[in-house]
Parts: sequence; C-alpha cells; structure tokens
Amino acid sequence: MSSVTLRELTKQYAGNAGLSLDSVSLDVAHGEFICLVGPSGCGKTTALRMIAGLESVTSGEIEIGDRVVNDLAPRDRDIALVFQSYALYPHMTVFGNMSFGLKIRKVPKDEIKAAVTDAARILDLEQYLDRKPAQLSGGQRQRVALGRAIVRNPAAFLMDEPLSNLDAKLRVQTRAEIARLHHRLGATMIYVTHDQVEAMTMADRIAVINLGKLEQVGSPRELYLRPANQFVAGFIGSPSMNFVPMHVESIDGGIRVVSAGGDMDVNLDDVESAMIHRAGVSDVVLGVRPEHLDHRPRSGRGLQLSASVDVIEFLGNDEHVHLSSGSHELVAIVDARTPLTIGDTLTLSASSEAIHLFHPETGVALK
Amino acid sequence: MSQVPSVRERRTVGLLKRLRLSRAVVNVILGLVAVFWLVPTISLLVISLRPESLFGESGWWTVFTAPSQLTWGNYTTIFSQGFAAGGVLDSLTTSLEITIPVTILVALISSLAAYSLVFGSWRGRDWIFLVIVGLMVVPLQVALIPVVQLYREMGNLFGLNPYGTIPGVIIFHVAFGLPFGIFLMRNFLTGIPKDLLEAGRIEGAGEWKIFYSIVLPLALPAIASLAIFQFIWVWNDLLVALVFLGGNVHTPLTIFLYDQTRSLAANYWIVSTGAVVSIFVPLIVFFSFQRYFVRGVLAGAVK
Repeated sequence: MSSVTLRELTKQYAGNAGLSLDSVSLDVAHGEFICLVGPSGCGKTTALRMIAGLESVTSGEIEIGDRVVNDLAPRDRDIALVFQSYALYPHMTVFGNMSFGLKIRKVPKDEIKAAVTDAARILDLEQYLDRKPAQLSGGQRQRVALGRAIVRNPAAFLMDEPLSNLDAKLRVQTRAEIARLHHRLGATMIYVTHDQVEAMTMADRIAVINLGKLEQVGSPRELYLRPANQFVAGFIGSPSMNFVPMHVESIDGGIRVVSAGGDMDVNLDDVESAMIHRAGVSDVVLGVRPEHLDHRPRSGRGLQLSASVDVIEFLGNDEHVHLSSGSHELVAIVDARTPLTIGDTLTLSASSEAIHLFHPETGVALK
Repeated sequence: MSQVPSVRERRTVGLLKRLRLSRAVVNVILGLVAVFWLVPTISLLVISLRPESLFGESGWWTVFTAPSQLTWGNYTTIFSQGFAAGGVLDSLTTSLEITIPVTILVALISSLAAYSLVFGSWRGRDWIFLVIVGLMVVPLQVALIPVVQLYREMGNLFGLNPYGTIPGVIIFHVAFGLPFGIFLMRNFLTGIPKDLLEAGRIEGAGEWKIFYSIVLPLALPAIASLAIFQFIWVWNDLLVALVFLGGNVHTPLTIFLYDQTRSLAANYWIVSTGAVVSIFVPLIVFFSFQRYFVRGVLAGAVK
C-alpha cells in the first residue's frame, strides 16, 4: 500500500482539440479513500485509466509509492482495477478468476489457495468458488471483481463506478461493504463515480472534476459546507443548491442584495458585506440549499422570499417542494406534515450562515 | 372456481390441441424431407455393402427383402492393398496430410490476424480488413496458373519448387482459406469486451498470455465452425488437388474416386466403397467439434 500523486496530469486524445484532462494535481495519502466525482465525460475515468496505465499520459506525472510510473506497463504498476462491467473471465470459475493474476506472477500454489480462500471469506464467496460468472447474481459478480483485486494485495485499488450496474438496494449494501473493506485492508483506494451520494458516504476526501479540470478537493463536509465555486456547490448535495442572480444595493449602514423582480431580498451580515466589498461586484449569485430554506418569515439577518408552489414530491418524512418566485425556480425541503397545496404562496427564509455567494462571471465563491 | 370450464379455458385447451396437431404435421413433413435427403447416402452405403456382381442385376433397394446380400467383401478388397500407393488407404492418408495442416494453419493464422485487427492499435487496420474482405470474392480458379508459375519461379530461384508436392497444395489452400477465416474470426472477436483484455493486462498478462488464456477459449465456437468449414472444403477439393498433384503417386481421396469413374467401365463398387470411407472422416470431425458450438459463452463477463 502506498500513496498516489498526480502532478499536472494532462490528457489530450488524438484528433481532439480539447483536453480530456487538464493539468490535474492530486495527492492521495497512504491508506486514503478518495473519490473522483463529476458529470459523465468530465475526465474522471480517463484519470483513473491513466493511473492504471491503460491510457498514455500526454503530459504531467503519475507517482505510485515513490516511483514515477508514467512509462511503466499496467502490470508493473502494482495496482488493481475494478471495472464498471466487472470484466470477469466467463470461461473461468470464480477461483480461476481470482487466482489468474497470481498464477501469472508465478506465486506458489498453496499461497494462491490461501489468498483466494481468504478473500472469498471476506467477501462471502466461499461456496461459489467452483461456479462460473454466468451462474452468479450481479452482486456476487461484483464481489468476485473485488476479490480479484484483493488477492493481489496491490499498492492501490482503483475502482471505476463499480456499483453502477447494481440495483438501488444492492448498491447501498455494497457501498457499506466497500467502506468496511477499506477500513479492514487500510488500502489506498481511488474510486470513480458520478454519484455524489456514493462519494459523500464513502470517501475520506472527494475530488470534484468538471470538463477535465479539478474543481475542488476536500472532505465531504468541507465540500458541502464550503464549496469553492458554483459548480461544486451545485454538484454536491441533493436536491442541488438553488442559485439566484441578485443585484447589490447599498442601504444605510450596510449592503442588501435583491433579486431582479424584488421577490427576494437578503440582509447581509458584516462578514458577507465585507466579502462583496472585497470582490467589488455589483451583481452576485446567491446560493442556498433546499434543506436550509425554512418555512417561516425571517427573523434578523438572512434571506427572505415569497414563492408559489408548483410541484410537491412526497418522500415520507419530508417533501421536495418546487417553487417559483418571479422568474426563478427553487426547490425547498419542508416537513411532510406542513399542509401544502399547489398554488399556495409560501414565505421562506434562510439564516445568513446558510447563504453562499458566488462571483457572477467566474462562479468562484466569495471570500 | 366453477366446475364448468370458462370460455377462456376452453379456448386455451382448443388452442393447445391445434398446436399439438400442427406440430405433428410439421414433424411428419420434416421427417419426410430428412428421408428424402438421406436416400442417396443410404443407397451409397448399401451399394458398398453389396457384392460387385449384383450391381448390374438388381437395385440396391432389394436389400430390404434379401438382407443376405450384405457383405464386407468390397471393404476387405479395397483395404487389402494396405497403404500401397494408389490404394484407398494411401489416398486417405494423403487427404489427411493435406487437410489437417491446412485446417490448423487457417484457424491459427486467422485467429492471430483477427486478434491484431480487433485489439491492436496500429493505423490502417480497418483498411487492411476491407482489403481482406475484398479478397473473399476472388475465385481460386483465377490463381491456379499464376501460382503454378510462381512455384516454378521459386524452383528456379531457390531450387525449391512446391509444385507437385503436398506442401504446395497446403500453401495454396491456406492462402485461399485465410480471407474467410479472418473475416469470421474478426467478426466474432469484436464481440469480446475490451475490458476483459485490460483486466488481464493489469493483472500481469502479456499479449500471448491474453491471446491464449482469454481470447482463444472465448473464441472456441468460432474456431470450431471455421475448422469444420475449412476441413470439409479442403477434404472435398478436387480442382486444386488435380492441378497441383495430378500426376503424383500419392493423391487425395477425391482424385482416387475421380480416377475410378473416368474409365469407360467405372468401378462402381470401388467408388461407392471409397465414397463411404471419405464421408466418415468429415462426420467424425463434425461430431467432435460440435460440442464447442455453445451459445452464450460470453455470458457473465460483463454486467
């Protein structure tokens, strides 16, 4: 087990003007579980495949342990990759699948047997060792793919959306299993997913990638509470953050920001006023998470708005309410016991701590 | 539930009855077609098992009323020559000497070429494949004379003329078997998920290991059908054998049989007995490769 370091890693495919991966730098500590998240086509899988050695490096450096592996073949990098499709060898038994890599490396037979039995025990596959992949369920195949990685005891585990082919229930179960596995093995894991919930629940740290660029790296809590920019703010959290363009107005002794139609206004506290002063902007994008919109009038500083109810999604404990306020659409999460009907006008508020401000052009969070 | 069957139930029963009836009709028709197709082969077998003298006297079907006609006489006669040149066993050996290497070479080279065409990353492989597909339409007759000349030139230049030798026939058959072989194998290999190869690569397998441990076992159904096609095609070939081995001492079965029919008084008992012998080998090949025709070999690989 060892650390993985990416230094200004860049990938450009032949015949493609844009960069698939643009100067991404990332340090993955020994034993850390890091998730690469981003929308599909953002370059996260490309990054993973470059670490694995399945894609060439256009520029930059990949370091595993303390050696640069740019020019090493995949087999010499001491990594294991769990494919999205599992990529099990259909003509081999579960035992054959899990022992294939060890056999190639000429590990003695009894050691292979011990390693496979051990992995099978961890993954609860002991009674399936003689079966072929076709005779297994999706969840079991997934575990065989994990087992194939575990037996090799690699420097780092790479996983490419390993849960995306499972149904929702199995996904939650396997998610916990992988987290437990990470805990147990203490292995360095790099996990690619487009599902921010997976990333939030499993990762020590998350790297958000968009259009080939690294947007932000941090713990799930950090990304949720202090997103670096509008993209990260919108990507992390479900339903995603509401964004409203606002205009900055000076009032006696402070600053107020107002939406275009005047349906929303915010009394900023001193910290936020100072942010806007420092940025020197006359417009700003306001962000507030649906779960932070309260169904009551504002008391003190913060946001207040009135909006009419368009759609109500009942989820049991609470409801996702889609609202329109002037020309803006918003989502709020309210207690399911609140009596609401479509067309109602609500007064919603948010405390000033729940408010995020972003630069109108660059999208960077104001500091 | 009432005792009286509902309308729907009665309808279902009626439908099932009709289905069973129509299935019976289909089976009878299929049986008749099968018998019709088998008659020439059966007659050949019966003729080979009747004494030569009876050939001009009564029809082969009289065997059904007089089974005492049956005898192994013809077989003991043609096998009595042993492996002497010009005998049926010698021809059988020659046929195998040509057919087996051709089948193995075509299967092997086609698989390797297809592997490179599908999983390689060299430039222009799609164009090469198109050219190979184009070669499939070239009839082999047009190549007979040029190849004979080429062989002769080889003899002049290197002192090694494959004309009139078994390797000469093998080279010709392999060359004409490859376009179809590559076409078939390439189309089959494109169905193998690339992830499997990448998984192997990460686990430490080199190109050869991936080829024979992952790709070949998965391609067995295609290889089996290619081998059967190729085997039967070469086994039945008369034209190429005549051109390249026409005057040879050792000739394949097709030439042996042809030699027996072309004289004015054709030796029908030898022809029929030899033909039965020549049928057996392809049948053995077919049934032994048949078990590789497994559908869904790739099941469970991905997803």
